[in-house]
Amino acid sequence: MLRVIPFLTVVLFAASGLLFLWGLVQAIRNRPAGKPILIYTGVLEVLLLIQLIVSAVLFPTHPGTDGVLFFGYLLTAIVMIPLAWFWAFAELSRWGPAVLAAAGITVVVMIERMVQLWV
Amino acid sequence: MGVNPYSAMHSGPGRGLAAVYGIFALAASARAGVQIIRDFSEAPLAYSLSGVAAAVYILATVCLVVGNRVTHRIALLSCVFEFAGVVVVGTLSLMLPDVFRVHSVWSLYGIDYGFFPLILPVIGLLWLRHVERRIRQAA
Repeated sequence: MLRVIPFLTVVLFAASGLLFLWGLVQAIRNRPAGKPILIYTGVLEVLLLIQLIVSAVLFPTHPGTDGVLFFGYLLTAIVMIPLAWFWAFAELSRWGPAVLAAAGITVVVMIERMVQLWV
Repeated sequence: MGVNPYSAMHSGPGRGLAAVYGIFALAASARAGVQIIRDFSEAPLAYSLSGVAAAVYILATVCLVVGNRVTHRIALLSCVFEFAGVVVVGTLSLMLPDVFRVHSVWSLYGIDYGFFPLILPVIGLLWLRHVERRIRQAA
């Protein structure tokens, strides 16, 4: 993945890392998950969907990639982000952004695994 | 108002705990699903254990999210089961590395998952006890 679409990979790392940091800062500042971070979480979901389309298109040209694992990770991330969004939205304390931070760091790890899997 | 006091299980810090449990339920199910469907015969024991871990994480997540008296009890039991599971499987995987050649979620005390499987049930038990005490005090 890194060689083929390095730009998108870097953007995804940065975007999910930022969600982690933003959520963490808001939780430490004792703020609930406001509109900006909730909208931003939606942006990360869109980026993941773009990644899904791009990797589905490029997949046939990368026969060494373990498709089940790669798309397993990607689809799990795509399912997890909206669930985290609803879970954070329903919480009016600092634990709302904490949920988004947990989801963000999980996506960072999953993208790292996807980079390893994409051959 | 007649509000269910056990809904405290998933608010405040419990919201974060339920989220982390949910992430583990998803991650462990995905891993166990792939392992069991694709290469079960390779390491039936390790992969069955991954499946058991996934099932317990799903159970604990659902219990926290539902949040009533019954699910509080079930959540306590599943935390105890998880802790016992990660300690037993972790120890066995150290002692019998040949049997546990292939990693499962609880191998080496959950090292593949940053030892979270070991920490999570402890935090879960402390949180459930805290909720129970607060409800008793209020009553």
